[in-house]
Amino acid sequence: MAIALERPRVAARRARRYRLRRGLGHVLTYLGLLAALVFFLGPFFWILTTSLKGNEDFFTFPPVWIPADPSLSHYLALFTRSSGARYFTNSLVISSLSMFAALAVSLPTAYAIARWRFGGGLLSTFLLVLRMLPAIALIIPIYIMYKMLGMTNSYLGLVVVYTVLYIPFAVWLLVGFLRDFPVEIEEAAMIDGCSRVRALVQVVIPIIAPGLAVVALFAFIATWNEFLFAVVLTGIETKTMMVLVTSFTSGGTDMFYGEASASVVLGVLPAFAVAFMLQRYLVKGLALGGTKG
Amino acid sequence: MRLPMLALKRRQWEPFAFASPSLVLIALVIMFPLAYSFYLSFLDFDLSVGPDANFIGARNYTESILRDGRFVGSIVNTAIIIGPALAAELVLGLGLALLLSRVARGRPIITALLAIPAMVSPVMAAMAWRMMFGVKYGAINNLGLQLGIIDVYFDWFGSSALARASVVLVDVWHNTPFMMLVLLAGIQSIPTELYDAARADGATPWQSFWSITLPLLKFTMAVGLMIRLIDLTKLFGLIFVLTYGGPGSSTETVAFTTYLAGFKDFRMSYAAALSYVIVGGVLLLTLLFLWIQRLREARAA
Repeated sequence: MAIALERPRVAARRARRYRLRRGLGHVLTYLGLLAALVFFLGPFFWILTTSLKGNEDFFTFPPVWIPADPSLSHYLALFTRSSGARYFTNSLVISSLSMFAALAVSLPTAYAIARWRFGGGLLSTFLLVLRMLPAIALIIPIYIMYKMLGMTNSYLGLVVVYTVLYIPFAVWLLVGFLRDFPVEIEEAAMIDGCSRVRALVQVVIPIIAPGLAVVALFAFIATWNEFLFAVVLTGIETKTMMVLVTSFTSGGTDMFYGEASASVVLGVLPAFAVAFMLQRYLVKGLALGGTKG
Repeated sequence: MRLPMLALKRRQWEPFAFASPSLVLIALVIMFPLAYSFYLSFLDFDLSVGPDANFIGARNYTESILRDGRFVGSIVNTAIIIGPALAAELVLGLGLALLLSRVARGRPIITALLAIPAMVSPVMAAMAWRMMFGVKYGAINNLGLQLGIIDVYFDWFGSSALARASVVLVDVWHNTPFMMLVLLAGIQSIPTELYDAARADGATPWQSFWSITLPLLKFTMAVGLMIRLIDLTKLFGLIFVLTYGGPGSSTETVAFTTYLAGFKDFRMSYAAALSYVIVGGVLLLTLLFLWIQRLREARAA
């Protein structure tokens, strides 16, 4: 009788202790993640508040962490005094063009690999090896070739390089999407008299559109972020945001903070947007080098 | 008789037609320049001297490895930065992935937020941190002074050791999220039955981490480290903005030294040779890594 009464009590105590430990574990887990969030997002937050400060806020101590009356004066200065508007537009135009060109060229190639096993495993391996190639090995000959062809300081030059650099990544991702696509739908269309190209354009593309969007967004970010080719191949008119931002480093570590922080805010904007849109694909995209130009 | 043959020919033709645009572009913009650059590396083409160039054999290569202290130094710098950066990214990334895998609510949003640094350009990451490290107006010095942790405006790039540590810190901030994402995917692919069985057998969480999670995560960790290693050998934009190789040349990486040789000294042939030394080094590292992997697998089997 005593034993029968004791058992549930012991069990309850044990359960309580277990729940307590688990509760504590949960609290520690969230505390750890909170610390990580502060470390990884803190700099962004500080850059954003810095870009909204008035000039007088820089010279006070204790420092102003959150400006009392935020102003957009640094953005205005960046857009007018430093031609920021032009360089922001350059980045947008170059990234958009490269994105569309890379998709247009990569889709048929991915289709050939997915449907006909074109090139066997060899082509896929070759594309993977290209991904590991250091950009520094390519920039020297390309610079010399572009000089001869008069293609430095032009949109076209940068778009061509970005498009080609992006092909391996785009093909790899697209092959995956195309393999998941049921061949039967395509075959049905072709039996009904569709040509191969028409089946691809009118049947396959609409259905894999979400996949195409993923590849496109990664392409956009990668070209937006690229720096080595941009700094070597652009001139005063064709600079991108990545090149503009480096022009603020000339004042040592205490450069002009207002415009510099405003340019960083604009420079990381696409990354924020895409990180949320592509949550599910982040690993695959990043692993294949999706954001590295 | 003719019809099937035509069909066969057509079918062989089609894949080529579909694949040719990108293959032609890759040939023109990647393969040809690489070959041209290889040829260039045996000349003494120097834009600051003039367009004339002579064939000088492998002299660029011997100079780079035997006599160019700056380039050899940059190999050492790169290694000094890679070691701690890789270790910290692996440990921190694993820790974060484990924390995230225990979270029941809000995991997608926390993951996406933590992933953001990996999506921004190295140049932007470096610029943000350069401002954070700023002597008078930087967040770190100001916060330290306000909290009384430091009592002078500290120069975080004052010595070569400090500058290297700062570069490592920024790279860890920039790329730990990538490691975290890769390892989180690895952890989530481990069947939960294994943990249930271990718990039923009375294993503590610590024990199941050491004998289930870690062994099953080995391959994922190896892949993640490999990708990071290859990317770290390309470290350029971050250095360009954060330290520009200084102080002295203590944070010059191989890619950065090659850039200086090509676009500051205009020694095109020499820079081409340097870039091929880097390609060779990366290739060697990759093979070494694969060889170690295979050796360990063979021993495990």
